[in-house]
Amino acid sequence: MNAPAETVRGGVAGWFEERLRISGLLAALLHVRIPVSAQTYYLGGISLFLFGVQLISGTLLALYYKPTADAAYESVKYITSVVDFGWLIRSVHHWGATLMIASVGLHMGRIFVQAAYKYPRELTWMFGVLLFAVTILFGFTGYLLPWDQKAYWATTVGTEIAGGVPLIGDALLNLLRGGADVSDATLNRFFGMHVLVLPLLLAGLVVVHLTIVHQLGLASPRHPEPRPVRRGGPAQPVDEPLKPFFPHYILDELIAWFVVLAALVVLASVLPAGLEDEADPLITPQHVKPEWYFLSVYQLLKIVPRTIGIVAPMIAVAILLLLPFLDRNPAVAKRRRPLALSAAVLAVIGLVALTVWGAQS
Amino acid sequence: MEPPTIGSMEPQPAPDAAARSSGREAPPSPPRRRFLRFLVGFSAASTLGMIIAPIVGFLIPPRTQGSGGGRVVAGTLEDIPANTGKVVAMGSAPVIVVNTEAGVKAYSAVCTHLGCIVGFDTTVRHIVCPCHDGHFNPASGAVLSGPPPAPLPPIAVALEDDEIVLVPSGG
Ligand code: HEM
Ligand code: FES
Repeated sequence: MNAPAETVRGGVAGWFEERLRISGLLAALLHVRIPVSAQTYYLGGISLFLFGVQLISGTLLALYYKPTADAAYESVKYITSVVDFGWLIRSVHHWGATLMIASVGLHMGRIFVQAAYKYPRELTWMFGVLLFAVTILFGFTGYLLPWDQKAYWATTVGTEIAGGVPLIGDALLNLLRGGADVSDATLNRFFGMHVLVLPLLLAGLVVVHLTIVHQLGLASPRHPEPRPVRRGGPAQPVDEPLKPFFPHYILDELIAWFVVLAALVVLASVLPAGLEDEADPLITPQHVKPEWYFLSVYQLLKIVPRTIGIVAPMIAVAILLLLPFLDRNPAVAKRRRPLALSAAVLAVIGLVALTVWGAQS
Repeated sequence: MEPPTIGSMEPQPAPDAAARSSGREAPPSPPRRRFLRFLVGFSAASTLGMIIAPIVGFLIPPRTQGSGGGRVVAGTLEDIPANTGKVVAMGSAPVIVVNTEAGVKAYSAVCTHLGCIVGFDTTVRHIVCPCHDGHFNPASGAVLSGPPPAPLPPIAVALEDDEIVLVPSGG
């Protein structure tokens, strides 16, 4: 390892450097402005790591998985009970999904609490909300693939919810299901989305997201970003020291990945992914419940009229997307953002309460 | 060195990288440093091993069960009259059953040349491979002409009433 800006001569590195002239680019990539007070809790990087885990474990699963209503269930059973380490790969994919949704959610939470969505990071935040949506869609489409009773009926209910969207509901339902019911056609659509469309989309969005993060550097949780000097206005230079991205931040990030990998392997081994009876379109099982991250919406739909239960989450997502423009307060210090923080606390309490209620009912 | 400030865009070399690049004539690594290096290398190698081992295990396809070791009914003598032949599946293995003057015989239908599936040619009364025109003697499986280097391996057959039964070799 050489200092990033140094040009290497001789040796293998030198051979490639002469032909690629890439050390300048690498040096620039390895330099991100990080104010000493920045505290990311490595959550964005952990989300990225988990995306990598999902790509690898998912590609492996696709080698044995068969995306048809006749064969899907048996192929998943085959992976779990016949293929060497099949149970492990499948369970890692299962827990990787849960941890990824959790880490993306926590990442969003830390951005909010530290006010890193404010000027000039509005676009970083908006691309982040899109990433969050795509991550959730991964969960939704992946859940159907084992084609067991849980998968089938959770998807029946989930797509029914989409069907309740005002005006476009019927068309949306038909488009999602590829017909009137959840069927072989639905499985094919969900499979295509899950293994092709969403991964490409997420990868593209991540590239944009990280490019912006790289260009702007991390936000300081202590000082608002100074705006360029306007006519006559006094400049307010903020002299906060930086800490090195490479190797310090990268090393810490790596350690965080190790911890997550360990947690993943333990969870996958102790609580492996299950498989219920094969899907039967004629028998609805006793308790149809979605994955934990959909429990709040599920519970909301039980206690309010259908249209409200469907429109309310859509409004919530719209508010999230437009947050940097709705919250015009330039302050980043917590005690100077009482409104935003108390609204967020209320929202989180509501979300948790609905989730717990949904899990118990 | 002045601490870098938010306004500065210059890349800041990491302190120890700077120390290392200027330390060409540094004394040889003390044992502690060598031990730490070993520890880092060992951790990296075991992590890689831990990730790669299950992946390799997963990639190796599980053994496909054959026909389950039992007998396979290839058909009746009516299906395969004298001087004809038929390719049937024994588990996942193709087998050619021929009815010759020497009796009912069966061979692996996989050509010993490059793996095409042989058939029975009723005009010349040979087992013939369509790929490179290899001819086999239906009575023995021996090569009559063409590129195949070896005879077709025989499969045991038994007649039970008029049913032709293939008996997979044990195992
Ligand atoms: C797949 C999902 C995501 C990945 C892989 C990802 C990755 C990252 C990474 C690696 C960083 C660098 C700093 C850090 O690690 O915290 C970052 C920063 C950031 N992310 Fe994300 N992110 C994702 C989703 C989101 C979401 C859902 C939001 C918010 C709605 C968001 C908003 C931001 C913002 C505003 C920053 C800049 C933070 C700062 O300057 O301090 N990201 N992201
Ligand atoms: S493969 Fe049969 S003759 Fe070449």
